[in-house]
Amino acid sequence: MPGIKDTMSQKLEKSVSAQLEQQLDSAAAINEDELFVLADYDQSAAEKAGYSNYSYWRSTLQVFFKNKLAVCLLVVLVLLVLFTFLQPHLPGQYPANLINTHPQTGKALSHVSPSFSTVLITAPQGAMVNAEPVKDAEGWYAVDNKLSTIKSRQKFTVVEYGENWCKIEYKNMTGYVKNNFQTKLKLPEDPTAVPYESRSNFNLDLYMSDVDYTNNGAALYVEGSKLTMNGDGTASFAQDAELRVLPSTHAFWFGTNNIGQDLWARVWSGTRTSLFIGFTVAFFEALLGILVGVLWGYVRKLDRLLTEVYNVIDNIPNTIILILISYILKPSLQTLIFSMCLTRWLGMARFIRNQIVIIRDRDYNLASRCLGTGTWRIIMKNLLPYLVSVITLRMALAIPGAIGSEVFITYIGLGLPVDIPSLGNLINEGRQLITSAALRYQLIFPAIVLSIVTISFYIIGNAFADAADPKNHV
Amino acid sequence: MLKYSFKRLISSVLTLMIIITIVFVLLRQMPIEGYFDNFDKLDQAQIQAKLSQLGLTDPIPVQLWNFFVDLLHGDLGTSSRYATGAPIADLIAKKAPISIKLGVLSMALSLIMGIPLGAAMARSKGKFWDKIGTVYIVFINAVPAAVYYIFIQMYGTSALTIPMLFDEKNLVTWILPVFSMSLGSTASYAMWLRRYMVDEMNKDYVRLARAKGVSDKKIMMQHVFRNAFVPMIQYIPTSLLYTISGSIYIESLYSIPGMGGLLVDVIGRQDNPMVQAIVIIYSCIGIIGLLLGDLLMGMIDPRISFVKKEGAR
Repeated sequence: MPGIKDTMSQKLEKSVSAQLEQQLDSAAAINEDELFVLADYDQSAAEKAGYSNYSYWRSTLQVFFKNKLAVCLLVVLVLLVLFTFLQPHLPGQYPANLINTHPQTGKALSHVSPSFSTVLITAPQGAMVNAEPVKDAEGWYAVDNKLSTIKSRQKFTVVEYGENWCKIEYKNMTGYVKNNFQTKLKLPEDPTAVPYESRSNFNLDLYMSDVDYTNNGAALYVEGSKLTMNGDGTASFAQDAELRVLPSTHAFWFGTNNIGQDLWARVWSGTRTSLFIGFTVAFFEALLGILVGVLWGYVRKLDRLLTEVYNVIDNIPNTIILILISYILKPSLQTLIFSMCLTRWLGMARFIRNQIVIIRDRDYNLASRCLGTGTWRIIMKNLLPYLVSVITLRMALAIPGAIGSEVFITYIGLGLPVDIPSLGNLINEGRQLITSAALRYQLIFPAIVLSIVTISFYIIGNAFADAADPKNHV
Repeated sequence: MLKYSFKRLISSVLTLMIIITIVFVLLRQMPIEGYFDNFDKLDQAQIQAKLSQLGLTDPIPVQLWNFFVDLLHGDLGTSSRYATGAPIADLIAKKAPISIKLGVLSMALSLIMGIPLGAAMARSKGKFWDKIGTVYIVFINAVPAAVYYIFIQMYGTSALTIPMLFDEKNLVTWILPVFSMSLGSTASYAMWLRRYMVDEMNKDYVRLARAKGVSDKKIMMQHVFRNAFVPMIQYIPTSLLYTISGSIYIESLYSIPGMGGLLVDVIGRQDNPMVQAIVIIYSCIGIIGLLLGDLLMGMIDPRISFVKKEGAR
């Protein structure tokens, strides 16, 4: 085996040296002048070397989209924001401030539990009911299948015994009564040995059939097209029909509050208000903060004055400023936004000031100044692009911050009036009902939406700020 | 150090005076109803008489001077609506101790919870504990405090089967308010300690120690933690500031008879002198917190010098 290897390598060596000799010979044959030729200036070749396909925003987005969680939350947030604007235009929505009343009794529909459907029970074709048109809802009929009410201690004859229903005869009427712990029928030892007389200590409802087509005794509602009227106040179903608790197919998905307003509409309207507050505060924070921060950092004469002002304002707890301003001014959307802007721009200004002081006298800025670049251009082109990451982070965090402040201000009773629903308002209303477990949904729904919004903004803001920092682009 | 402390103290007092002036002047712009407990029943002459008796008809600088003179005598004025005619200083002296107790307890609890959490997060950087801690910090920072306070009260009281409202004599009812109040500070201690420890762990002396073969535990306790804890000291008094908004929520949620609940009460009743007094007291707490933080820093870390260095920035 080693023999073969040796011969192979010897062969290779020979062929290589032969090639080398050939090349050297041909090189020697070339004229000296042809060996060194001046290269012409070639623009495309020059650009090829200096060209880099690095683009700041593209890299930022690339890094951002690598963060799966942030992208997911961004999608959720965008859908949520779109939905808050779309919701009032969807069919069958109740207005957020409409006080819903029951069309028959006229009472407010307060504390209706959340449900996705108004259907309580489905009745088969041919079932008999009492039917009466509803005044305020055209095409709807109030139905029930109650024949009569048997007063307590009145005697009647049981003609058929069942576990849940008993068929009875009472004053020439034949109908059904419920046989349960509430009705407490006085039955003999062997209740199946019909017929016999019986009574109850309670008022009994006598039904037309052994199904209860009522909502705890109140009427149910059905579209008139599904009924065949008999002319004597009764009707039978022309087809299988869904019986509803309201003369409407639109349910209160999140329930209603104590005065009968639809919580679903209020939550989305409130989200809209809160997001509006958040975005406005973030915008003004950025505007004021950048303006003051740049002046503070760049103009040396202002430095001392602004630092002193900052020290004074920074010493007052933000909460106190917020409370004080909201207390002095009348509660309204503008007041809220104004007081929040007043407390928040300061932090942004200081961040920007510190960054600008650091990079203001770097060599490239010195060079730029020496070349006669105007102050404005230096600020816009040399300084601010450095701060994109800081600014976006603070703007993104301003939104959950502003929503939180709104909740706080509403909580201590200086917030928006209740006819402008906001997440703070809703949570505050819900908070007052937490002692009753059945009504906690009024707190839980707004709290969930609020948490989704604030957590999403927080995480997206952090992820975007990381992505906007060029150090993370490599 | 002494000179610095003195200067810092003077500037704090000056700041406080400026803040009191601003608060005072702003509150003079409020409608005058807030000074009467029966405004609707009075006629114009009576209103004027009461106003001049309260000194509110004087020019604002004179009022301000009188207020400062009173303040130096420990007199914060009298309540107008909350407890008509009662001296505010007495009312607050009754309410303050419980707030202070709650604040100190929750600060202690947040140190007990926050520092181990931060240290554990730094030690397991990028692993399980770090992730758990990050979720906690994000949640606390993003979600408004009111929301989780309410949920803690709602489910905490039923889970532990304790009364929903606070009772000073029943020690079990202290648990949830103190715990809720400490959550925010816990998150911020954990976050900062983790950040400082991670910074410290990347420094050369830690690498050297590791190369020498010093055990991981010893490096963490003796080098990293000690150095990382120094900048934390500054935050401890400052976190008093954060317990302010916490105490306002917590005290009115559990109906604790303290300062925060009192502020909500007097705002609801538009009692101007009371609002003014409580706002000024809270500002004082904030300023004292910052001052203590700076002074503690200077005492603990000998590397910080307060001699002004002149140099090109």
